[in-house]
Amino acid sequence: MPVLNVNGATVSYGGRAVVRGVDLHVEPGEAVALMGANGSGKSTLIKAVAGLVPLSGGTIELFGVPHRRFRQWKRVGYVPQRTGAASGVPSTAAEVVSQGRLAHRLLGMPARRADRAAVARSLDEVGLSGHAHCSVDTLSGGQQQRVLIARALATDPDLLIMDEPTVGVDAETQAALAAVVADRIDAGCAVLLVTHELGPLTDRLDRAVVLADGRVVHDGAPPRPVGEHADPHHQHAHPHANGTDGTDDLWGGK
Amino acid sequence: MNLDLIDYFQFEFMQRALISALVVGLCAPAVGVFLVQKRLALIGDGLGHIALTGVAIGFLTGTAPMWTTLAVTVAASIVMELLRSHSKTSGDVALAMMFYGGIAGGVYLTGIASDKGVANLQQYLFGSLLTAGWSEVWTIVIGGALVATLMLVLRPWLTAICADEQYARASGLPVAALNLLLLVTTAVTVSVSMRAVGLLLVSALLVIPVVTVQQFTRSFKATMFAAMGAGFLIAGAGVLASAARDVPPGSTIVLLGVAAFVVTALIAALTRRIRRTRRAHLPPEGEPLEVELPTKA
Repeated sequence: MPVLNVNGATVSYGGRAVVRGVDLHVEPGEAVALMGANGSGKSTLIKAVAGLVPLSGGTIELFGVPHRRFRQWKRVGYVPQRTGAASGVPSTAAEVVSQGRLAHRLLGMPARRADRAAVARSLDEVGLSGHAHCSVDTLSGGQQQRVLIARALATDPDLLIMDEPTVGVDAETQAALAAVVADRIDAGCAVLLVTHELGPLTDRLDRAVVLADGRVVHDGAPPRPVGEHADPHHQHAHPHANGTDGTDDLWGGK
Repeated sequence: MNLDLIDYFQFEFMQRALISALVVGLCAPAVGVFLVQKRLALIGDGLGHIALTGVAIGFLTGTAPMWTTLAVTVAASIVMELLRSHSKTSGDVALAMMFYGGIAGGVYLTGIASDKGVANLQQYLFGSLLTAGWSEVWTIVIGGALVATLMLVLRPWLTAICADEQYARASGLPVAALNLLLLVTTAVTVSVSMRAVGLLLVSALLVIPVVTVQQFTRSFKATMFAAMGAGFLIAGAGVLASAARDVPPGSTIVLLGVAAFVVTALIAALTRRIRRTRRAHLPPEGEPLEVELPTKA
């Protein structure tokens, strides 16, 4: 039974189809990347899987249960795209990560020992146990991203969905995150990763699905870097880049 | 001076005023902390405007304004939440409609009711702690206790929906119900505390204690408890100061709150500057710069 089964999924924003008839299957313990250029619909598809945008056609099944009747959200760990850090009221890293345990708790019940242990363990996994009681606002961008990943890990997911977790994260942190995610894959957790770049996190992939203009154009072996990108000395970090995506495309690709 | 103050509290109306103000000061920030997190700090003011319509309906029908206000603000908060979640109306547009519609409804209906010679909108606009009876004090105490208990018990869930609503939905939390609960609780707080600080100033006790203490706190939990403590102190000090100067308590409480915020903001800015110059903390470890810095000519 596949962990995730998407059949002919179509998502429209205001009448414009962004995702058009996409099929996507993820087996237990499988690591799949969802790739594509900006605007190819990969983030939208993943939001539909997470139940954040409605489908206008097709079906999504999670753990064999149709999306509409799916209730075991605690089996799904979701790492959203990191948005602007500043929130209204300060929260510590431990408080943010403990949000990942709420699906395990009955409404209004206090946290149990297992909940606290899971929070401490996930913070430790991403290397932030020393920052558990720091306000998230005072952490660096890469550390904030690690907090969001720890939050998803805290639910002990069987399917980990990550939406561009490496945007704005330095190479060292990317490698550390790749190790954390690889551990979870080895433990039998399926991973669905949205990304538009190859990096340490994509080395452990079983399969890649490439979207273009809302349709699947490739489903199979993950792409390997070619040309300049295959050079191990190729600089992936561009110190002068201003952080916006797709600057490469401005020049018609490299 | 101190003796004078104690003398004041031999009067029952002063005791009632103090108890109501302390309860509202303690409970309003417990709701407000979530509103600030959700960037809905002005919703208390919006519901306060709507509450005017409720008060006017109370005048018209001859029922106690607190109950008509409660009904109207709860209904308004439900409409507001439905608008926010099910239509493309943005939060601030819905809020603007509440501001204008609420004031207009209140003034219009009071205009009709004033033929009957009962309307006195002023005491609801700016609060009239001193004329409250014991039954009203008990309503405030019970309502405040309910609100504070609910907020404290549901803190982790409400924090989750206020901090990151998308994540909360993706983890299967009952986001719509919790959002509605938060707005209805705000409506209850506004209706109950209109006696203490007045409808136009009620937003202040929801928000000011929270933004005052969050300049020093690191965690949400600490912010919530410290804000409740700060609200309690501000409200208590406001009633004492107003008794000493013989001025309306509502405005005194709010002015004290604003002063507390300004002072703490200044202190926070100063301590940050001192810390920076002393370098008590090492700068966070980062990656080594992978560029060669140009040498000065």
